[in-house]
Amino acid sequence: MTATLTPRTQDGRAQSGRARNGPTGRSGRRAAATATTPATLRTLMIVLVLLSLLWGAFGGWVASQHSSAASALTGVDEPLSLDARQMYASIADADVTITTAFLVSSAPQLAVLQHYQFDIAGASADLAKLQRGGASESQAANAALQTLVESLPVYTGYVADAESEYSLGFPLTGGSFLQVASEEAHLVLLPNANTVFTQENAALAAASSQATGLPTVIAALVLALVTAIVLLRAQRWLTRRTNRVFSAGLVLASLALLISVVWIAAGFLAARSNLDNGIDHGSSPAQSLAQASIKVQQIRGDAVLNVISRSGGTSFSTDFLTAKALVGPGSGSLLAAAAAAETGGSPAANLVAAAGQQATSWYTANGTVYTLGNASDYRHERDAVIGTQAGSSAAGYKVLEGDIESAIGDDQTTFENAASAGANALDPLEPVVITASLLMAIGSAWGLSRRLAEYR
Amino acid sequence: MAGIRRRDRLAVAAGLRTGVAALVVLAAAAACGTAASTSGASGAATSTGTSDAVTAASQEPAGTISETGSSLLYPLLADYWAPAFHAQFPSMTLKPAYTGSQTGIADASAGLVDIGASDAYLSSGDLVKNPTLLNIPLAISAQTVIYNLPSLPADKHVQLDGEVLAGIYNGTITTWDDKAIEKLNAGLALPPDPIVPVVRSDGSGDTFLFTSYLSTQDTTWNNAYGYGTTVKWPPVQREMAVKGSSKVLTTCENTVGCIAYNGISYLQGATSAGLGYAALDNFAGQPTTPTPTTIADAVASFVSITPPNETISMIDGPSTDGYPIVNFEYAIVSARQPDTAKASEIKAFLTWAITTGNGAQFLGHVEFEPLPPAVADLAKAQIAEIGS
Repeated sequence: MTATLTPRTQDGRAQSGRARNGPTGRSGRRAAATATTPATLRTLMIVLVLLSLLWGAFGGWVASQHSSAASALTGVDEPLSLDARQMYASIADADVTITTAFLVSSAPQLAVLQHYQFDIAGASADLAKLQRGGASESQAANAALQTLVESLPVYTGYVADAESEYSLGFPLTGGSFLQVASEEAHLVLLPNANTVFTQENAALAAASSQATGLPTVIAALVLALVTAIVLLRAQRWLTRRTNRVFSAGLVLASLALLISVVWIAAGFLAARSNLDNGIDHGSSPAQSLAQASIKVQQIRGDAVLNVISRSGGTSFSTDFLTAKALVGPGSGSLLAAAAAAETGGSPAANLVAAAGQQATSWYTANGTVYTLGNASDYRHERDAVIGTQAGSSAAGYKVLEGDIESAIGDDQTTFENAASAGANALDPLEPVVITASLLMAIGSAWGLSRRLAEYR
Repeated sequence: MAGIRRRDRLAVAAGLRTGVAALVVLAAAAACGTAASTSGASGAATSTGTSDAVTAASQEPAGTISETGSSLLYPLLADYWAPAFHAQFPSMTLKPAYTGSQTGIADASAGLVDIGASDAYLSSGDLVKNPTLLNIPLAISAQTVIYNLPSLPADKHVQLDGEVLAGIYNGTITTWDDKAIEKLNAGLALPPDPIVPVVRSDGSGDTFLFTSYLSTQDTTWNNAYGYGTTVKWPPVQREMAVKGSSKVLTTCENTVGCIAYNGISYLQGATSAGLGYAALDNFAGQPTTPTPTTIADAVASFVSITPPNETISMIDGPSTDGYPIVNFEYAIVSARQPDTAKASEIKAFLTWAITTGNGAQFLGHVEFEPLPPAVADLAKAQIAEIGS
């Protein structure tokens, strides 16, 4: 292979080996084609290396996107949604606790006051976590969080004023401060906490669809298909143009592509299946139950408001009817939606069924508050709200809320296990694709450069 | 801070509220801005451009402001404030009505009237259901306990406390010479007449204030009946339930042995009809009659702790010389009016009421006391929140 024996093209590059070694008497067209073989080889090499790297970059990006979305689901979005629900529950419980405490006595038991303090500390801690968390992506959530940061101390300030007045022996003034505190809770704190919860749920839903979304995966597979076609055609072309049956480099590239595609498809399908399962049987019922819990707390809070509202004629009886229909367990209700989503026979399913039964009897106890309130029967109305004996509104509320809380806990475990399995399936995909793409690039470059070298 | 919180509440309320139906026929079309807030609107305004320049009648809001509610506030509104306000601002007319505090709150909540008058502050329930409502103090009132005992000398006051009154209203004390009453009134020749307790049959701020006093002084009463604009009175022989402050007065006038609770704005009518009024024990156990001094003393201790929305119970406060049943008379108003003209009219009247209207030439007729300056400032801040 010397320079004197090698025909040169116009630009001085070596002609293809096929042209040099091929049979004589070929047509001019073929001669023209063969004259460009090294250039074609170079082009092919560049194209295949670029496609390989593109596969690595895009496939890796897709894998990392899904993997990080799946991780965020369990590591960020689900916990923030949980924090938001807990914050709402803590504020609602704090207000009910402190208000009913002073309905029972002007000097409440220390344990009850500590319960209130515990709720406030919990709400503050959740608020801080939510502020540090991902809520910054939502303007509405940020505004609501800021309002909560400003208003929570205002609320606790009014409660402190009330406690001070009660302890000094001025229960009426203390009571009016408790009213002002309750107004702050019901008009500012709880609506804003609800906004945060709604926004966090929206973020959770967005992360879920991002983790399980198909479009980028399909785009990656289309890219893989295009790369595969180019690889195959390159090998066929090489087989025709050379006497080699196959190019080891291109075979290596093809195998790397095949393995990475199969891996990514299988990993993604497994993750998707896990995540869907977690969302359908964990996250989804947990969200229905969380909404039911918020409504249950509203019903309880409204009943307490109904008792402490001694002027005017306002009654929350209509709101109660609406809220109880929404909570269920009747058709189209939140408890029914949760029951339908639970895995049959699971502890969570049993808890939701128990919650449904408990809710029905609690409604009866809670409904008497309004009957008594409308008759201005303060003593029995107050007793119906603060009474703790079995069958009372307060006791029924505690059992129902406990069932719902436990079911949410179980659902969250179901979701976390499934989502973690999904995230685990997605985790290795990015390094697999990147490694495969490097092998493909190296294989393509190596295989084609060996052919190209034969022209020198 | 208060303003921020109110805006938050109103932002929430905006989503809840479907709009106020202004059923009152208004002659507000010609209204052209507010005397209080329009600056530089007058063509005649030259260099200052301040609201001081806007005093011409042509710049005043115009229309009719409807009011209903407290019968205790009614005499002041109907006989003194409405004519004086109209005389000063001929383009505006105040139309008060006499229905009871509970109706005042309800009608203002429903947007049936521009202003509801109430002796009781808005309850949490009212406010949560109607987050745009404000309760704005207009003046200080007190409640009297009147009785019809012609045999007693006019310059003497029967001394009563919450426990004895609770005993009368729960039926355990039935005659005026009961030992419990005599114990408080050594030296006073109490007649053996049967006691005829009078209560309000309508939802009433007076009932709210009176039962508040019973509740704070008598734990048993509080646990059994509590306090409110309506309460489930225990059955008491001879008890009479009547509607409105005027009817309370006339009933008591016509019934020897009567005891009743009524606003201080009806005290002149009571004394001129020969009725007596009680000296009530305050928190310190000191018997006090309602005078400008004892009322102002009672309120003074609450001024610094009054919250921005001015919801506060001043019943049986810490003042050793204060009269125990004192309260703000509230205007219940929506912060969201149907239009700016209506908002301007209401703001103009309320601002007038807590400034010019708080003068002794008006309040003196009904024994009300003016708002302390700090409370008036909070009221002004609330009035400023009224808009459309």
